[in-house]
Amino acid sequence: MGGTTPEGHETYPNLHLRGFADVDFSATNIKGQPSGFNLGQFVLHMSSPLSKKVSVFGELSFTARSNQYSVEVERSIVRYDANDYFKLSFGKYHTPVNYWNTAFHHGAWLQTTISRPEMIQFGGRFLPVHFVGLEAEGAIPSGSLGLNYNLGIGNGRQTPSLLARDGDAGDVNGNRAVVAELFARPTQLFGLQVGASFYKDEVTPDAGTAAVALGPYREWIASGHIVWSRETPEFITEFVNVHHTNIASGRDWNSQGVYTQLAYRLPGVARAWKPYYRYEYIHVPATEPVLLVPNLSGHTAGVRYDITDYAAFKVEYRSSRRSPTLRTDGLFLQTAFTF
Amino acid sequence: MTLVRKFLMMGLTLLAVVAGAQAQKASSDIAVVTNPETPVTELSLADVRKVFLGERQYWNSNMPVILLVRAPVAREREVVLKNIYQMTESQFKQYWVAKIFRSEAVSAPKIVYSADMTNQLLAVIPGSIAFMDAKAVGPGLKVLKVDGRLPGEPGYKLH
Repeated sequence: MGGTTPEGHETYPNLHLRGFADVDFSATNIKGQPSGFNLGQFVLHMSSPLSKKVSVFGELSFTARSNQYSVEVERSIVRYDANDYFKLSFGKYHTPVNYWNTAFHHGAWLQTTISRPEMIQFGGRFLPVHFVGLEAEGAIPSGSLGLNYNLGIGNGRQTPSLLARDGDAGDVNGNRAVVAELFARPTQLFGLQVGASFYKDEVTPDAGTAAVALGPYREWIASGHIVWSRETPEFITEFVNVHHTNIASGRDWNSQGVYTQLAYRLPGVARAWKPYYRYEYIHVPATEPVLLVPNLSGHTAGVRYDITDYAAFKVEYRSSRRSPTLRTDGLFLQTAFTF
Repeated sequence: MTLVRKFLMMGLTLLAVVAGAQAQKASSDIAVVTNPETPVTELSLADVRKVFLGERQYWNSNMPVILLVRAPVAREREVVLKNIYQMTESQFKQYWVAKIFRSEAVSAPKIVYSADMTNQLLAVIPGSIAFMDAKAVGPGLKVLKVDGRLPGEPGYKLH
């Protein structure tokens, strides 16, 4: 549909379609969880300019469940570009509250490792993965510093029992979530990105539960990241603090998540290989009433082998401790590709 | 042949070799070329990098940047990958897949297969920009200064 005429002029719309998929094997020491293969996510990403200044992006995921596939609209965005400094969009996004969430989305092939950090797992509760509303983004005139911003307002998290679900069908309260991100990509240090983001929302207790009497919680999330994306080495580190305050009592809780990932693309004839290691840590106070996430200290080590420019094979060992007595270890294999 | 004549012949030969080498060097410079309507005449190397990395996507509010990049094996592509992207061929492909997936760009650079095709597209697409062998630039196109220098001038960095 659409494209470029023989004379070189664009026609609209001009749909580009790309797929991502992965096939996995896992073997862990978790009781009751058999080892074996599973189909990972099958993801379709669409992009299409509608005019010189308007474009559309969409992302659909198909995830295998025990008796069916679940289909999710992961992103659906229409964007108007005024210029490099102001781009306004509406739709469903991956919340720019964390680097990993917006850098890798659902494309397992894009990320070096098999697994995402625990703080930003799909279906996880620690950070809001999705966001429905509007965003303004663009560059900030800053010379070689390469500053960029991202401001958003929209439907945030739902009630504690549905914290991992996003408000596609509407917000659960009249309080919009607000997110602001600032990051720098210095031109003299190509590959470096340093940034911070802030997210504010209100979490309403589930109707019909005893928690209703306690009233809503104010949520403040602050995060920072440093990324060196050149592969010799590749370095990603992020820190997040999730702050909840019970509005009625004023009591508050702070939970922290951090991870550091290091990888290195080997030189010469071994350049298809990229060994990696990640350490991650999550601390949540025992009385935290909203997140209901266990503490975590985890190690991930593995190696990625790029079979071609568009397909990779990964082997990963994970060891995590969620309490003094609960330790899990596992071996994971994955082949991930884009087409 | 007298000794003086021998020295004269050797000197002329040396001069011809040096001049040839200079001419070869000038011809091997890679020019940054745009559509003539593009509102820019000069860029720093850092700005060229921002443009080709898709970090700068508009020349002005009404004119988007249209990137034209030669297909693999062309010398222009090798120079762009080495000096501008600082990536391998694989990293370059993966960079654009990731950039589009992140909604930071709507499409990858247009691939062009010859100098003739590059000249034709540059002439008709407003906002288009490409790398070309300086000797192959067609008439009417705009060759940009990079860090204040044109191809063939001492200190020009793209070759």
